[in-house]
Amino acid sequence: MKYAGLVLANLGRNKLRTALTGGAIMLAVLLVCVLLTMPAGLDAFLNNIASNTRISVHNKAGLVYAMPYAFTRKVRQIDGVAAACAFVWFGGAFEEAGRVTFPNFAVEADQVGAVYPDYDVPAQQLADFQRYRDGAIVGRATMRRYGWKIGDRITLRSTVWPVNLDFRIVGEIPNDRSPLLWMNRDYLDEALKAQGRPAGLGIAGIVWVRAADPERVNAIMRTVDDLSRNSDSETASETEKSFFSNFFGSLKGFIAIILLVTGLVALCIVFIAANTASMGVRERAGELAILKAIGFGRRLLFATLLAEATVLSSVAGLAGVVSTIGITKVLHVFAGWNASLGPLGAFIVTSSVIVEGIFLSLFVGMLAGVVPAFGAARKPVVATLHEVF
Amino acid sequence: MDATPGAPLIQIRDVSRRYVRGVDEVHALERVSLDIPAGHFVGFMGPSGSGKSTLLNLVSGIDRPSEGDVIVAGQRLNDLSEDELARWRARHVGLIFQFFNLIPVLSARDNVALPLLLTKLDKAERVRRAETALRVVGLEDRLDHYPRTLSGGEQQRVAIARAIVTDPDLIVADEPTGDLDARNAEAILDLLRQLRQHFGKTVVMVTHDPRALRFVDDAYHLDKGVLLEGEEAARAQEAIRVSAGAAGARGPR
Ligand SMILES: Nc1ncnc2c1ncn2[C@@H]1O[C@H](COP(=O)(O)OP(=O)(O)O)[C@@H](O)[C@H]1O
Ligand SMILES: [Mg+2]
Repeated sequence: MKYAGLVLANLGRNKLRTALTGGAIMLAVLLVCVLLTMPAGLDAFLNNIASNTRISVHNKAGLVYAMPYAFTRKVRQIDGVAAACAFVWFGGAFEEAGRVTFPNFAVEADQVGAVYPDYDVPAQQLADFQRYRDGAIVGRATMRRYGWKIGDRITLRSTVWPVNLDFRIVGEIPNDRSPLLWMNRDYLDEALKAQGRPAGLGIAGIVWVRAADPERVNAIMRTVDDLSRNSDSETASETEKSFFSNFFGSLKGFIAIILLVTGLVALCIVFIAANTASMGVRERAGELAILKAIGFGRRLLFATLLAEATVLSSVAGLAGVVSTIGITKVLHVFAGWNASLGPLGAFIVTSSVIVEGIFLSLFVGMLAGVVPAFGAARKPVVATLHEVF
Repeated sequence: MDATPGAPLIQIRDVSRRYVRGVDEVHALERVSLDIPAGHFVGFMGPSGSGKSTLLNLVSGIDRPSEGDVIVAGQRLNDLSEDELARWRARHVGLIFQFFNLIPVLSARDNVALPLLLTKLDKAERVRRAETALRVVGLEDRLDHYPRTLSGGEQQRVAIARAIVTDPDLIVADEPTGDLDARNAEAILDLLRQLRQHFGKTVVMVTHDPRALRFVDDAYHLDKGVLLEGEEAARAQEAIRVSAGAAGARGPR
């Protein structure tokens, strides 16, 4: 394209201004992309919940209220239930005191594999999990993060129970995004008894149920809730998808705010870029008139001016997207799994985030360039000559 | 455009140009008629605001008359659309202004090559022609210089090179010496005269530089938008000649 030289020379005209505007666009695209990884992470998470047969059973009063452990057995006996496993939040912190950096639960070692066959934990590892009281199965994300491997020994200090427990890692959930850790429920139970709590654990936080057949999910949920009716802890059952979208429901408002902020940031850079474009056009009015006089057509002038704004913003936007990938890698390592952000804190740059970032910068350039470029291209030569000279 | 020497290249027929400024109307030109023969070096002279630039802009097709016709080499400029007119200028006219001639971020060579971007010539040929044009104006050793590193006279010569690079028949120049000292002004006037002498170009120039009288073939005098004729024109010319003589007497040898 023979006009490229002209476009680039004009961008180099005021290098500081070009750099500042480019930097503003880059930072804005970076901010927008990092923010967009949050809703994108939630979407990816919810879409990844493959199972349409899993049911969550928890206390109707809320997740912080437990149910008697004995209820698990009743659920397991319901017709159509393939497996059921009681989960208790351990809230174990590794290394840094007082901070839970990945979700960890005490589970029934002999049941959990049957509830989560789709997690593809090798049968041998599930068997080891049952064999060793202090065994733990860890998601690959957490394994990678701390450089653990099967056979390693680790210590977790519970932020919920008055115990520190040593574990040996006997298995891995082979999923790059899984931060989970499962430990053996009996191990925690014994530790609590040793602490002078004769009743031991005694509760279930959530009972995860797998129905043998998706058709029967609704019937099972009804039966479970009927079973607990008028007891001290009435239950509320829901599908896994519904559970997680409710669980992260409070994040929806947050996401709305994120989207609002990204929209405003986008608008803001349009103004910044438009300002640069119109300053560039204004201070060059004389030159543009002369280009027009020597035969540059209106369309050609419009195109080169628009190209100028678009080249600047798309190069800056590309830099923004590339830095997003870098920054999120760092954020990912530092933030890891985050209890309050959940999948929003995963900071995974999905391809949709990249595409949105690139489109945003193109859009910014065109929108910013179109008005000044149109005005400059349309203005009659003699009007400019008369004004400028 | 092929022009037989002596035949009128430019015919200006009863041309008026009015500008509307708010409620006022400025009569920049009033019923001007004039023939300019091919191969002549013509000067439009007159006081500031007399309509010289307006007339030149009509001749070069960057403006349109309110009334009347401008015909260049048989082409009625009024018949052309805006875009056709732009293409016509690119093909047939070389333009030189007083200021802002050059794009500051392009080298002399690239500035001169600008009008060639509008042609189908390839890059190598564009560069070759730009360098040739710069050689014609005596700047073969300034090819890679940027405008700000050139003197005013050199910048104006780059502008002349750009005006001739497409080999147009008509060259128009609006106050090309307006910003230059005496020596550079004469060099530019001489260069324009050579374009006419050696290359057969028709050159139309606006100036209020009295020195120009020594270089042009014909001088036309405008006053308040009217073309002076006969007695009046002769008086205007005499007045300029006197002031030129005075300037020459005062100026250094
Ligand atoms: N684009 C324009 N809009 C309004 N008035 C103009 C415009 N161009 C020129 N004029 C007016 O027309 C008159 C003649 O201007 P011009 O041809 O530039 O004079 P000269 O070149 O002889 O100094 C002046 O009064 C000037 O102010
Ligand atoms: Mg003028």
